[in-house]
Amino acid sequence: MKPLILHGHERSITQIKYNREGDLLFSSSKDQYPNVWYSLNGERLGTFDGHQGAVWAIDVNWDTTRFMSGAADQSLRIWDCATGFQIGKIENSSSVRSCNFSYSANMAAYSTDTHLGKHCEILIIDVRNADDSIEKVQPILRIPITGPKVTSMLWGTLDKTIITGHENGELTQWDLRIGKTERSNIDHVGSINDMQMSKDGTMFITASKDKTAKLFDMDSLECLKTYQTERPVNSAAISPLFDHVVLGGGQDAMDVTTTSTRIGKFDSRFFHLVFEEEFGRVKGHFGPINSVAFHPDGKSYSSGGEDGYVRIHNFDPAYFEFNFDCQ
Amino acid sequence: MAKKKDGEKSLHNSEGNKQDKSESNDEEPNFSDPEGFVDNISDEELLGDLLKQKPRETDGVESVIVVDGVPQVGPERLEKLTTVINKIFSKFGTIVNEYYPTNENGQTKGYIFLEYSSPKHAQEAVKLANNHKLDRQHTFLVNLFTDFKKHEDVPDEWEPPQPQPYVDQGNLHYYMLDPDAYDQYCTVTGGGSTVQIWQNTSPDPTNLEERARWSETYVRWSPLGSYLATFHKKGVALWGGPKFNQKMRFTYPGVQFIDFSPCEKYLVTYSPHADDHPNDTKRLIIWDVRTGIEKRNFSSDGPAIWPIFRWSQDDRFFARIGTDVLSVYETPSFGLLDKKSVKIPGIRDFSWSPTDNVLAYWVAEDKDVPARVTLLEIPSRIEIRAKNLFSVADCKMHWQKSGDYLCVNVNRYSKIIRKEKNEVKYSGMYYNFEIFHMREKQIPVDSVEIKEAIHAFAWEPVGFKFAIIHGEGPNISVSFYGVTTGQTPTLLRRFEKKACNSLFWSPSGQFIVLAGLHNLQGTLEFVDTNDFSIMNSTEHFSCSDVEWDPTGRYVVTVVSCWKAKVDTGFWIWSFQGKILKRFNSESFCALQWRPRLQSLLSQKQQQEIRKNLKKYSAQFESKDRMRLSRASKELIEKRAKLMKEFQEYRAKRLEQWHKEKTRRLELRNNIDTDELDSDTKNVEEEVVEFFIKEEVTVIS
Repeated sequence: MKPLILHGHERSITQIKYNREGDLLFSSSKDQYPNVWYSLNGERLGTFDGHQGAVWAIDVNWDTTRFMSGAADQSLRIWDCATGFQIGKIENSSSVRSCNFSYSANMAAYSTDTHLGKHCEILIIDVRNADDSIEKVQPILRIPITGPKVTSMLWGTLDKTIITGHENGELTQWDLRIGKTERSNIDHVGSINDMQMSKDGTMFITASKDKTAKLFDMDSLECLKTYQTERPVNSAAISPLFDHVVLGGGQDAMDVTTTSTRIGKFDSRFFHLVFEEEFGRVKGHFGPINSVAFHPDGKSYSSGGEDGYVRIHNFDPAYFEFNFDCQ
Repeated sequence: MAKKKDGEKSLHNSEGNKQDKSESNDEEPNFSDPEGFVDNISDEELLGDLLKQKPRETDGVESVIVVDGVPQVGPERLEKLTTVINKIFSKFGTIVNEYYPTNENGQTKGYIFLEYSSPKHAQEAVKLANNHKLDRQHTFLVNLFTDFKKHEDVPDEWEPPQPQPYVDQGNLHYYMLDPDAYDQYCTVTGGGSTVQIWQNTSPDPTNLEERARWSETYVRWSPLGSYLATFHKKGVALWGGPKFNQKMRFTYPGVQFIDFSPCEKYLVTYSPHADDHPNDTKRLIIWDVRTGIEKRNFSSDGPAIWPIFRWSQDDRFFARIGTDVLSVYETPSFGLLDKKSVKIPGIRDFSWSPTDNVLAYWVAEDKDVPARVTLLEIPSRIEIRAKNLFSVADCKMHWQKSGDYLCVNVNRYSKIIRKEKNEVKYSGMYYNFEIFHMREKQIPVDSVEIKEAIHAFAWEPVGFKFAIIHGEGPNISVSFYGVTTGQTPTLLRRFEKKACNSLFWSPSGQFIVLAGLHNLQGTLEFVDTNDFSIMNSTEHFSCSDVEWDPTGRYVVTVVSCWKAKVDTGFWIWSFQGKILKRFNSESFCALQWRPRLQSLLSQKQQQEIRKNLKKYSAQFESKDRMRLSRASKELIEKRAKLMKEFQEYRAKRLEQWHKEKTRRLELRNNIDTDELDSDTKNVEEEVVEFFIKEEVTVIS
């Protein structure tokens, strides 16, 4: 079926996220205004105005009361979802690259970039009573990163750990009680651009510049599956409904001008979660896909691209009838 | 380590120089450490590679030359002789020492010793002054002093070489015995170092052999497929047999080009870089493939088009082109045929017939003499046919594979503009194809004229057709002509407005791939020339090469990392243009099918098979079906196994997840968020209404 094309951003999309119920879709882009849309019809509900730089990362808490965004203007902002007003803001010494609410949404974690002598840092903050004063409150935990910078982040099981993906492909699990590395591995050989959890939060999928996406166990960080493509993968998501994953990516934005769109391969690609076999592609974007997300009911998915569009695709009946032979 | 003094001494004492030399060799230099010092590691062991580069004193023997054939003169004329000698030999470098041995009367003995400041000069002198004629009676024979030892060691009696025991090489053509006639191919990846050998089995190819650092640049199959040649710093190696063992090695540094003779008896190697052989001119070597013995070497002068030597079909002759001369050599003597080259003033190019010992060459126009294409029979050197051509700018010769026809593609001009510095510009170009009917009496010649620029020409390997790509972009046309006995070629079909620049005939004829390589980005068209239907029109983006398998069943298109950056790899198609497999791999370089031997079946037997094709094809189809079903069965089994493993893992994981439920509820205010609809009491139903804009457009 024809996708809904959301044209509310003036520059490339950096991240898209559904809320837990899936009625709303949040999007951020390199322009300064994160948007929120009705996922059902693609109508824009509103924007979050205030940032003064490209917005790199967004998140929404589980009961859709708070929205958080981190941007290149070095600020992390927390917003009221219902009104779109800014609740609090934290200024940092470099851009905010990733931000996530914890499972309970009592805490949030965010990371900053390595830039001009400033080291990358992971910060854990208390957001229970976030207001104007949040900037003055000391973070719960501050982890300086001396190695390659953090490019993506997830909260681990039951708010006890966080997992960070790094520029060199390293995955690290941090124990928040002591602020130390619990375990880490280096299965990827390129920057980990995105990490997304499965519905139950026991597994997560990484998307890496090394042209693969991999499935990991949330607690042991054991690599379970690998999905191979021939282009850098910018984002990957796990279907909540079927054993499917979707990968989005494409040739690096800077190389695209030298090649035709035909070989840029800006398709969303569907793989079987277990068999690692590709079974479908969705065309549409005319630039690399920067973010993909499944609707929580698994009946539609969205993608946001370098071309500045968010596309909401409802699956055709054929998708639900499709079956892999494995008997 | 001989000291320089020794060298000089030996010069002044020519009689005893041999003893001196051996003495100096026996002298052990004193390397001993101070007393009490114990060292169990030698410097050689520690710094072996560095010590090799250490500058060392030489005794200067390398710089000494011996000149024989010098006039014998008395003391009174010695001065005059030295002046003459100095004049001749100081051309090659500074002479630092000279010695004229004399007998008791003061008469010189007719040989002299000269020492240069560097061994390079001495070598130069030997190269250029040897056989120098001083006058009618005296010819200089110049040798390096160091060569004397070499010449002295030649035993007086000739000993016949011991016959080598026969080593069974096994069946080098074992792959021809494959019951399913699966072909082999080799791929080069990793920038030219990793080589894989594949068998094109159905439905998936099998990797037979894979070796990292098997070659340093690329690989080549021999023309009959017996050997795989790999390139190394130290030379070329040949591999063969089912296990790909090393069969032969040709040690010569810096080899970059090789060429096998058509029957694989000989191998020509060429080391183009002079740096590898500073004092060595033998850069072009012909080896015997079976014994590994160097048969003859040549110095190559200036850049040449590879292959420099072109072989006749039966390995009996090989020829190279020079200025106004064609040198034909014969095997196994490796001497010039009839001891002299064929003088052909103005020869530009030549080409052997693929089936007969006939070569065709063409001579450029020279003022009033027209250009000329000549067919020359070797070894008799009889001109069996010649044709004069006028207003010729360039010629290209194309032999049909079966040797039945020769097509000469003649570029002609209507105007010639001569510029300075011998630069010539032609204008008003038009193009002729001269078809020589080799199998007919007196070899009649037909001609086809095309007014447009020619991009490609190709004979059907088996059959009577040829294809031409011509025209100016974007109006490129592909024309097919047919040749029949005693008739001028007829135009069979012309496709207009095609995006292609290369022609690839199936090795068995009939089918052809029209490809747009390089700047045309890899368009492919599969054409059946029986009825000129286009079977498939497709593309392999940025495809750089097309390779038919030797049987004409498969086509491989290649994107090489030598030409493109992304999506390197190869795709396998059926001859009808159906995609069978895609292999994308980073830093993929090249693919080569292993050549097959010619069929042993007679023409009649082959026709018999063709007649009963229906019967055979049914057998093959059922075989293919079985293989496919086996493969799909295997796939399903593999999937079932994967699924089972994964489900076991999930079951364990979910058990733990369920245990954590209370903690999850605590974290989220006792609201169950595990499922979308698990929390019914907190959900408000909302009815959403949309206004859908409706537009009615009347189409008139």
